[in-house]
Order: sequence, then C-alpha cells, then structure tokens
Amino acid sequence: MVKFSEEQLVEFNRLVARYPEGKQKSALLPVLHLAQDSFGGWLSSETMDYVASLLQIKPIEVYEVATFYSMYNLKPVGKYLFEVCQTGPCMVSGCDDIIDYIKSKLNISVGETTPDGLFTLKTVECLGACGYAPMMQLGKYYREHLTKEKVDAIIAECKAQSN
Amino acid sequence: MGVKLLLEKAHIPGIRTYEVYRREGGYRSVEKALQSMTPEAIVEEVKKSGLRGRGGAGFPAGMKWSFIAKPEGVPRHLVCNADESEPGTFKDRYLMEFLPHLLIEGLIVASFALGSNNTYIYIRGEYAWIVDILETAINEAKANGWLGENILNSGFDCNIHVQRGAGAYICGEETALIESLEGKRGNPRIKPPFPAIKGLWQRPTVVNNVETLAAVVPIINIGGDEYAKIGVGRSTGTKLISACGNINKPGVYEIDMTVSVEEFIYSDEYCGGIANGKRLKACIPGGSSVPILPANLLLKTAKGETRYMNYESLSDGGFATGSMMGSGGFIILDEDQCIVKNTYTLARFYRHESCGQCSPCREGTGWMEKLLLRLEKGEGKMSDIDLLWDIQRKIEGNTICPLGDAAAWPVAAAIRHFRDEFEWHVTHAQEAQTRNFGLAHYADPIHVPVTA
Ligand SMILES: Cc1cc2nc3c(=O)[nH]c(=O)nc-3n(C[C@H](O)[C@H](O)[C@H](O)COP(=O)(O)O)c2cc1C
Ligand code: SF4
Ligand code: FES
Repeated sequence: MVKFSEEQLVEFNRLVARYPEGKQKSALLPVLHLAQDSFGGWLSSETMDYVASLLQIKPIEVYEVATFYSMYNLKPVGKYLFEVCQTGPCMVSGCDDIIDYIKSKLNISVGETTPDGLFTLKTVECLGACGYAPMMQLGKYYREHLTKEKVDAIIAECKAQSN
Repeated sequence: MGVKLLLEKAHIPGIRTYEVYRREGGYRSVEKALQSMTPEAIVEEVKKSGLRGRGGAGFPAGMKWSFIAKPEGVPRHLVCNADESEPGTFKDRYLMEFLPHLLIEGLIVASFALGSNNTYIYIRGEYAWIVDILETAINEAKANGWLGENILNSGFDCNIHVQRGAGAYICGEETALIESLEGKRGNPRIKPPFPAIKGLWQRPTVVNNVETLAAVVPIINIGGDEYAKIGVGRSTGTKLISACGNINKPGVYEIDMTVSVEEFIYSDEYCGGIANGKRLKACIPGGSSVPILPANLLLKTAKGETRYMNYESLSDGGFATGSMMGSGGFIILDEDQCIVKNTYTLARFYRHESCGQCSPCREGTGWMEKLLLRLEKGEGKMSDIDLLWDIQRKIEGNTICPLGDAAAWPVAAAIRHFRDEFEWHVTHAQEAQTRNFGLAHYADPIHVPVTA
C-alpha cells in the first residue's frame, strides 16, 4: 500500500499550508512531485488515488493533471532517466549525435529502458539550458556541454552508484 | 562596457548568500520603499522608469500594476512567472541561480506596491535545484526580518512561496499559469476577465516575469527617471539576453539597449563571433516564437540602417523584414544549419506544448510538424510549402491564447525568408539528405534587398 512516511507527511503539510483555507487543491502539482519521488519514480493509479484522498479531491482531478504535465511518469522508468533536449538550439549544437551515441551505448531506442532496469532514454523539449547544449536532465540536476566522453562518464557514474 | 543594473554583482563570490548580498548593498530598496514611500508612489516610480515586461510581450509594468482591482476585503496576489520555457531563453534561470536575493528583494517591493501578502513564484518543474536556492534565500530573508509579519515596522506582512510546475510550456502563459497554480491542467482562460480583476482564486492578480521584478530593485534605488535615461526611446533600462547556438561565447549578457546587433554578435564582450570560423546565416533574436531573420536583415534593417538590440529596432520592418525582442532568447545559426530542420524542431515543440483547447492550434501544429518532417526527409512536394503557409495563416489570430501565433510565426518567417531552401528540399531531395543548403544569398555582410 502506498503511504507517505512521517517525514513525507511533514513535507506534505508544509506544501498545503502555503495556500488559503479550502484551496488545498493548489498543492496538487508539488504533492505529485513528492509522491513520484517517494513511490518509485512514477505515478501508479494507486498513488494518484492516495494523493486524491489526502487532498480531499476527486481521483479524476488528479488523473487530469498527471496526464497533462510531461514530468509525471505514468509508467515505471529506469533507475536513471536520461532526458535529452532535442529542440532547435540544442539541435544546432549537435544533440542528435549525443542522442544517437546514448542509443548505441545503451542499446535502446528513445522511450525504452535497458533490460536491467537501470537506464531509460527520453527526448524532451527545451529545458532552458540552450547556451550549455547539448544537455540532459538526470534526476534533479542538469548535465550540460555533453560530449561522448561525458556520456561515458555519466553512465559509469550511474552504474557505480547503483552497485 | 555597458551599464549593468542586474548582473553587476553576479560574480562576487558568495553573492548567493544573504550576508554577502546585504553587505553589497542588498535590500536597500526594501528599506526605501517600505519606510519612505507609499504603494502608489512605487507604482508611479515604475511607470516613470518605462520598464516593459521582460517575459516576452513587453507590456509596461507600471501600467499593469495600476490596473489591479482593489475590492474591499479581497486579498490580492503577485505571482512571479519563472516558468521560462521558450526555446532559446535561459536568463531567468541565471538570475535565480546566481542572484536569488535580487529577485526576493524585487518581490518584496512589488508585493508592497500591489498589496500582496502571499506572493508566489511559479517555477518550471525542471529547475528543481533552483527551488532549493530560492527557498534558502527566502528563509534567510525571513530570518533577517525582510519577510514575515510587520516588515521593518511598516505594518506590511509578506510571505513568498515557491511552486514547482511539472513540464508544460503553456504554463508560462499567465492565465494557464494561474490555472496550474490552482492545481489544474494548464489550459489558458478566455480573457476578459483579466487577471488584474479575477486571477488566482478569482482574486485580483498581477503576473510578472522574473527579470521584470528584479528590475524593480534598481528602479527604486536610482529612481524611475534615472532608469529611464538608460537605453533608448521606449526601450529603457537594461535587458538580459541569453545567447545560444553557433557562437563562441554562449551565455547570459546584460545589455543597455543601445548595442547594435552586429556588436552583440561579434564583439568579445558578448557572443564573441560565430563559432569555428563559420559565417552567420540566420538568427532568431527573441526566443523561438519570434520571426527568424537572415543575416542581411538581421544586421541592417530593410532601409539599410544599423539594427540595434532593442524593442523598436528589432521589430523595425514589421514581420515582413523585422522580428521582435520577445523574451531575449537570441539563437544564432551558422552556414551549416538547415532552416527546414530547425523549423521542424520548433513545430514539433509547439505541437508538443499545445494544450489542445482550440482546434486551429491543436490540429494545425501537428499538421505543420508532419509537413515539415516530410520536407526535411526529402519526401515533400512543392505544394506542401504553400500548404504550410496556408495552415499557419489559419492558426494566427484564431486561438484563445498566443501560443497559436507563437507556433505560426516561426513557420511563416522561415518560408518568407528562406523559401528557396524549402524548394531545394523538394527539387534536390536526394542531395538535401547528404548536405545542407548553405548560405545562398543570405551571407553576411552582403546586403540584398528582400521582398516580403
Ligand atoms: C505560450 C506562452 C508562454 C509564455 N511563457 C512565459 C514564460 O515562460 N515566462 C514569462 O515571464 N512569460 C511568459 N509568457 C508571457 C506571460 O503570459 C505574461 O505576459 C508575462 O509573464 C507577464 O510578465 P511581464 O509583463 O513581466 O513580462 C508566455 C506567454 C505565452 C503565450
Ligand atoms: S492556442 Fe493552443 S495552447 Fe493556447 S489555448 Fe488554444 S490550444 Fe491551448
Ligand atoms: S533547446 Fe535544449 S535546452 Fe533549450
């Protein structure tokens, strides 16, 4: 069963307290981030129903939002999610080569996860790092000025971390 | 070196912390505003400064503030738009990462002017680590008496909250942002009513860009009149430009708006010229939504005058031969770049980001993406180019929010100025798969007259 820990509930309450009485639905986006981070990196329907009950709103109100925003994963993803930007400014700075390199290195296509469940490759639209292209988001942080060598190092770093 | 009002102190070690920021003169504008000015006087000062919204539309900030409704007993809100998702734009991120207290300082003054006791920063979800930076700064400000209750004994209470989005460009549009802040899908609202009358939770609301709100600090410090003397005409003060693409020194630059486009691109103080010794082909000067210009029309207007980095000069010639200042996202394309492919990636972006409420935008963006991909792959027909033109015209002006226009303009401008390159993708379909079209007649610094 999905349930926030004591610590996560403290954070939940902090988030809800930012809005006026009766406007707790406003906390939905941040609470979904918290839920996704807490329950395996994606939002199952069980997780979404739980969030709905906590915020005292209808489950459909949560589904509507979870399906609208690209950062919520509605399917399980690998432990390390590579989100590589592919919009114009990154394209003119060579992101296609980096995407191809990651594909061949991990032997997966865009949208796929490696069989060991470690890596998922996703292409995303402009992340506001156009001057530091090519780039990707990995967890909370950006990895910028990507080269093939840097990609190798990142993959090695993730593998080492997961051991 | 031009005047710097925002980034002047960005390179001081530790400026991100409260101690250093305060030691360097931070929070003086809050002292001045809360201890010696009325909210009305602050609005007047911002009006005098001529400050125009830095989020893209360039609407005068002081005027926007003066529109806020003040019904008895109804709370009002200031919302800071930190959604920054327009391709090519990464200036707000720079401000928030390096000078978080500058934004907080501006927010306190603006909140006082507008009477907002609970102010929200809506930040794009991907900037997750910046949320921590902002919350640290807010806590420091609060611990030092700049936020909370009865700030500086003025009787004014203010709290600032940071709300993370979750990946949706459309939430940068102010009414979509408000919907999102209410915990809903980011579907823009039909206006009127405008947010100044009915915004967040149906309360009077002002939405301003990060840079706009940071600029309030120097305006209060030096006065609106002094601020207005910087720059030229209705382009007052300084502007942050995020420069990217094929240049030697991508990054965020603060300019006073008297710099020429040529100087901005080629001088070492700014972009440092085109990378790898290549030549300039084209530029999107104000974020992906604004019209792309070929080199010849970028450096000089159609009348042959020098083009400058300001609102008026960048839009000189209208959409026929000019572009827009937009959000300040300055994207440079060198001679090796393919206009068709670049336009395709932008069309894909807008299809991905359309909220789907209006059929011209929802259907049109997808259709344009398909046609552009077909042309890019060498499978297009001549008639596809006219079809693209037709679709973009039918989107523009026929939608609830300006995302429709923003999707239409890049396609229109690419065809307007680079039609021969599109045609070449049809007539030389095979060749187009192995090499790029190159500069053709857009080369700098040759100036050719261009017909609309
Ligand atoms: C599709 C779309 C996306 C937008 N994205 C942003 C954004 O990321 N940041 C921003 O400040 N303004 C954005 N805007 C403009 C806002 O609607 C609004 O005009 C702006 O936040 C007002 O602030 P300002 O007057 O200080 O510029 C966007 C507008 C549209 C139509
Ligand atoms: S123009 Fe596009 S993004 Fe804007 S409201 Fe209509 S469908 Fe949504
Ligand atoms: S285009 Fe890739 S970060 Fe902006």
